[in-house]
This record gives sequence, structure tokens and C-alpha cells, in this order.
Amino acid sequence: MLWIKNGIVVDPKNKINLEKMDIFVKNGKIVPESEIKKGDCKVIDASGKLVVAGGVDMHAHIAGGKINTGRTMRPEEMRVVRNIAGKFRASVGRVLLTAPAIGYEYAKMGYTTSFEAATPPVSSLHTHEELDSIPMIDKAALPVFGNWHLVFKCIEEKNIEKLKALVAWAIERSKGFGVKVVNPGGVEAWMYGGNVKNLDDQVPGFGVTPREIITWLIRANEELGLPHSVHLHCNNLGVPGNYQTTIESIKLAKGFKNEKRQVLHVTHVQFNAYSGSSWRDFGSGAAEIAKLVNSMDNVTIDMGQPIFGHATAMTGDAPFQFTLHKLLGARWSNKDTEVETGAGIVPIGYLPNNPVHAVQWAIGLELGLLTESDKVALTTDYPNGGPFTEYPYIMAMLMSKKMREGELKKVHQYVQKATNLPSIDVEKTLYEVIHMTRSLPARILGLENKGHLGIGADADIAIYNLNPLETDFSNGFEKVYKAFKVAEFTIKGGEVIVRNGELLKEVYGRTFWVDARKKVDLEVVMQDVKNYFQYYSLQLSNYGVEERWLKKPERLEVV
Amino acid sequence: MIIIKPKIDFEVSVEAELTPELATKSVEEVKKFKVYYGNRIVELGELFEIRKEGDDKKLVFEGDFSRVKWIGTKMVDGEIVVKGSVGANCGAFMKGGRILVEGNADDWLGIEMAGGEIIVKGNAGNLIGCAYYGDAVGMTGGRIVIEGNAGNYIGEKMNGGEIIIKGNAGDFIGTEMRAGVIEIHGSCGFVGGDMRGGEIRIKGSFELLPTFRKTEKGWVGDVNVKGEGVIKQI
Ligand SMILES: [Zn+2]
Repeated sequence: MLWIKNGIVVDPKNKINLEKMDIFVKNGKIVPESEIKKGDCKVIDASGKLVVAGGVDMHAHIAGGKINTGRTMRPEEMRVVRNIAGKFRASVGRVLLTAPAIGYEYAKMGYTTSFEAATPPVSSLHTHEELDSIPMIDKAALPVFGNWHLVFKCIEEKNIEKLKALVAWAIERSKGFGVKVVNPGGVEAWMYGGNVKNLDDQVPGFGVTPREIITWLIRANEELGLPHSVHLHCNNLGVPGNYQTTIESIKLAKGFKNEKRQVLHVTHVQFNAYSGSSWRDFGSGAAEIAKLVNSMDNVTIDMGQPIFGHATAMTGDAPFQFTLHKLLGARWSNKDTEVETGAGIVPIGYLPNNPVHAVQWAIGLELGLLTESDKVALTTDYPNGGPFTEYPYIMAMLMSKKMREGELKKVHQYVQKATNLPSIDVEKTLYEVIHMTRSLPARILGLENKGHLGIGADADIAIYNLNPLETDFSNGFEKVYKAFKVAEFTIKGGEVIVRNGELLKEVYGRTFWVDARKKVDLEVVMQDVKNYFQYYSLQLSNYGVEERWLKKPERLEVV
Repeated sequence: MIIIKPKIDFEVSVEAELTPELATKSVEEVKKFKVYYGNRIVELGELFEIRKEGDDKKLVFEGDFSRVKWIGTKMVDGEIVVKGSVGANCGAFMKGGRILVEGNADDWLGIEMAGGEIIVKGNAGNLIGCAYYGDAVGMTGGRIVIEGNAGNYIGEKMNGGEIIIKGNAGDFIGTEMRAGVIEIHGSCGFVGGDMRGGEIRIKGSFELLPTFRKTEKGWVGDVNVKGEGVIKQI
């Protein structure tokens, strides 16, 4: 039992803003005072300190084929030693971290949950092996659906029951959490060296369009009632002028409704918010996207904020990765995955004096500032935009115009005419930024017990050495940044795992997966599945991940 | 001058970042210098006999150092003499000073070296003056001379400086080279793949890729990367 005493609590889900209060923990959950015996409690004195829920990263690439290929092709990333084997596991990595390093670095920062944002269903066993190697945090993985031949077939046949059965079957087989869609149709076109450019382009070899893929998957997702909505990486990522495609894609959510959450989450929007027609007249389309998102009540986004320094582009968007490789002349690895999807990996770096990179950096911040705080979550699309360990930089930047003015002086001045960032006066409050990093991502994902400190919530808690009542967030940004970099206490499931940025105890979190099989008749799709397994390199009976193979699975059943 | 002699035959490699800077310290301090013996951190004095003679900035290694890695790494001045053979990564990231190896040198000699001189009287291994795996640039300055033969991958991603091999060398000479000079007095295998600049001079026979065009200066390429590197018979 834990008694966190006199902390200054910010808990947006429960509308608590800067209240001095006590938090009680029993059996890994937050409980009312009446349920504990104060004498038996370990007491943490949080006087003058900020107490919030553990951070929730709703979109990062932390496990599976892509990050592992990235590690293989970037030995230079592996020369930063973070931990020598001893009480804790050996861990290395500059931005591309090894599995233990990922868990440790999240925990040190007060983050306790992270979602792998894309796993091809066929390689989800690998993804889970890696997730099981990440200590400290709770996790889950999103299987990808937007370029799967079987998905195309269900949509071609306009058979929603079949599509729902396929989605429920595939999520169960991959022990996945929801429906990820990456460049719908474009990755299939890439198998022939092409891509799709418009929502109404036909996917080669199939009678479907990106518009239909997105719409049908939203419909299937909503009829199944999955905890999370469709999670979309839009078409034309990384292409000047792509903000219009993003706007059109967001509008596809119109006509769908869900009482609890959005019906469409559009991810790492920074990479999809470019105006202009080439890299020469490239600029920001962030304001238009933010305006549209603000006007709708069923769409959310995340930032995909670039951080200056090293990064590695790794997406399921194989044609984009090839374009990037050609643009930069950097190393490239292509991955094609059975009949399900593809992917690519390219090392990159964001340089402040490069006009394109400076604009990308500004666009991420514009999205964070101009979108309502209830609709935009904070991410770097790790490791695409850079390390998740710099989330505190983004938090501090959103809260301080003065910090942004300082940073704006250091970057290529093309940002002055190509983006709105210099003229944005918005300073998000601490309450808003805590929402964007905790309660909002948890709500977007459909995790009811995460991201807040209400009774019944998981006892994932971060305590920072920052007295918010005495902090000037506009001017004291350096102090704010430092405070969020290193949690004074990170509590995971009721156990103190980090103290002053030092790891205290290694724990292994749960892996959430969603079971929606009760909502469908699997038989309607199994004959098609069997037919398609002629094109797989493995037998259907060997496909998928059994629950007993996972270290700490937690099934979320949809009924 | 510090004279260092192994006390034992090493069962596993020793990783010892020893530079002439050590010669400015007392024998007692030198003995306490930390090195890796396998995965254990030990004091230099546990593995080696250490003697001091005079005050010059010089290290003398007597005996077999073929399992001792990283000698002379990051050195900026002074002198190192190895009276036997030396292990991998000798002179890595070196900026100045001089290393003389009287025996043979193992792989990764002078990687990403920026200045100074390395002379090997015997043979040298692979990856001389290269970039470390994943890094963008190899040797950028200084001079490496091998009196004997050398292995594969010489001067990969080299961007300055000079490598002279008096014997023969293996394959992949000057791959992705941008600047600097590689001179081979014997024969070697494939030369200059994806070369953008710099010059490779060879006395003996070598294998030329079809992506070099003949000019008055010599063979120019690699055409595949619009390179202007020169390969010359001397
Ligand atoms: Zn992503």
C-alpha cells in the first residue's frame, strides 16, 4: 500500500487542476482513503511536487521487424552504452534503443504505457517477443490492415460482415489491439513500384480505392465496437502539398459517431501537413488541418514532432521510404511482408539550418498549438521524428512562447514565411499538456484505467520535482524541461520503479490485446483466409500468436 | 618513457586505450590505469610489468600485444613503439603523434584517423583507415605506411590523408573514397567501387570495375555515383 501525501495533483480526466491532495494505492490500483490502513502504508511525501498519471505514448515504434532492421542497419546507433549488465539489463542505443533501454528510458521520464504503432499480422510473433523484452511499461501493438489482399477482397465484395470477421480474427491471431492503416492502397501499389496519389485512385489489381479502404475499415471498427478507433497514417506522407489529402481523409470520419471516443485517429500529422508543390515552395498546411479537426467532434490527431538530431524513418509506407532514400542518398532497407503489407527503413537527421527540417519542426508545433488540447496527443512518432526522451522539450515548448522565440532564432529563417509558428501566441497550460500526454492518449486508445488518477485507475503515477503553483511556465521553461526529463518517482502498478531518474526495480508490464470474436461469425471469412494462405510462406495452423506465449497478456473482450 | 610488458599470455582480449599521455604520469598512476580484460575491469599493473625511463612522451610495448586492442586510440601527440605485433583498432581516431609497429597489425588500423603517422613493419589486417561500421567518413588526414601486405577494405569512405602499402593488398580498395591518396606497390583486387574523389595509385596488377572511364589522368569514376576519383598505374 502507498500513500502519496500532499502532492499537487493535475488529473484532467477527473477535472482536477492543481489541487493539493493525497493519493492512495492498493493492489496496483488507486483506491479511496477508506480502503487502506494508513499505518501499513509506505508514505511518499510529495509536498510541493507535481503528481500526475504515468505518461501514455499512443504511437511509437518500439518492437518488431522495423525497429529491429533499423538496429541491424545502424550499428552507429548502438555505440551509446546506457546500462552495463548488473542489477538491470545491459542496454544501448543513441536514438534507436534496444528493448530494455526503451523500457528504462520511458520509466525514467515518468511514462508507463507505450503502444507499438504498426505490426504486420504475420510478423506479430516477433513483435510480441520484443514487447515481452521491454521492461517497466504496459504495452500493446496495432496490426496493419490498409494493404492486405484479404481486406481488399472483403471491400471489393462490399461484404461488411466478412470484413468484420477478418478484422476480429486477425486482431485475435496477432494478439493486437486495433486497426492500423498505413498509406491505404499505396503499399500494395509499391509491390509494382508505384504508389497511389489520390483517395480515388484505384489500387492496382483490385477494385478498391483508398477512400473505400478507410471508410470500410472505420465502419467495421465501429460496428465491432473496438476500444480504439481506426488509426490512420494518411496517403502521400512526406509529399509537399499533402495537407489536402489529409483534410480529405479526415472528412471521411463524417457520418460516423461514437459516444466514448473519436472514430478516426490520424497519426503523426506533421508528416502529412505540407503545403506547396515541391521542396522549393514547401510550407505548412497545419493551420487548415487544425481548423478542420477543431470543427469536428469525432477525429483526433497526434503531432509526430521532429526533434533536431538523429532519427530513423521507419514506416509501413514502403513507397515513401524509397522516395526518402532517393532524396537523401541514405541507406535503405525494404521489407515486403507476404500479402499483408510492406515497410521501409532509412536513417535521417533533422538539422536546424536545413529549411525543410526547420519547417517540419515548426509544423509539428503548430499542430500542437493550434489544435484543441482535447484533440491532439503529443508524439514524435519515435524514432521517425526523433527520440521519445525529448517529450519534455515539446511539453515545455507548448507552454512557453518565450522558449519558442529562442528556438526560432536558431533555425533556418525560411520558417518565418513558410509557417505560422512565429506569430502563434498560444501557451498551453500545464493541465492541457498533462492531458495531451496522459488522459487524452488513454481515451483515444480506449484504455479506461490509464492516464488518470481516479478511483479504480491503474496505479501508474509520476511525481515530478516541480511545484506548479510556484512555476512560471512562460519564463521558467528550462526548469520545466529539466523537471519532466527525470521523474522524481515513477510508480508502476503501485510499485516505485524509479527514484530521481535512477532505476530501482525491474518490473514487466502487461500486453493488452482485444478479443472481438464474439461480435462476429468467423466462419464467413475462413474459406477466403484458407484460399489466401496459398500465397503465404507458412501454414494457416502456424499463423498467429497464442496467448500463453506472452509474458503477461491481458485480454480486453468486446461484447 | 614508459615500458610495458605482458605478465601472462592473455586468454581473452585486453582493451586498453593507452596513449603517450600516460608517460607524463608516475609509474604508480600508470599501474592503476583501468583496462578491460575480457568483460572485467582491471588495473593495467595486474596484467603488465611497467617501468619508467626518462620523461619523454613515449610508450614502448615489449612482447606480444596481438590481443591488446585500442593501443594509441585518440592519441594527439607523442610516440608509441610496439616491439611485437599489435591488436585491433590500433591508432583509431588518432589526431597526431607517431605509432611504429615492428611486427604485424590486426584489423581496423587507424580507423577514422585525422592526423599523425602509423608505420607497420610487418603485415596489416583488414579495414585500414576505414570508417567504423555505420559512420559516414573514414580517415580524414595523416599517414599510414604498411611495409608488408594488407587485407581487404583499405581506406573505405576515406576523405583525406595517405595510405601506402608496400606489399600486396586484398579487395575493395578505396570503396566510397572521397579524397586522399592510396598507394599500393604490389598487386590488389577490386578497386574504387562507388569512389567519388581522391586517387589510388597501383604498381602491380589490380581488378578494375567496368564503371571507370579511361582518361589522360588515368581511370576516372565511379561513374555509378558520378565520381571523379582517379585510379592510376604507377
Ligand atoms: Zn508511426
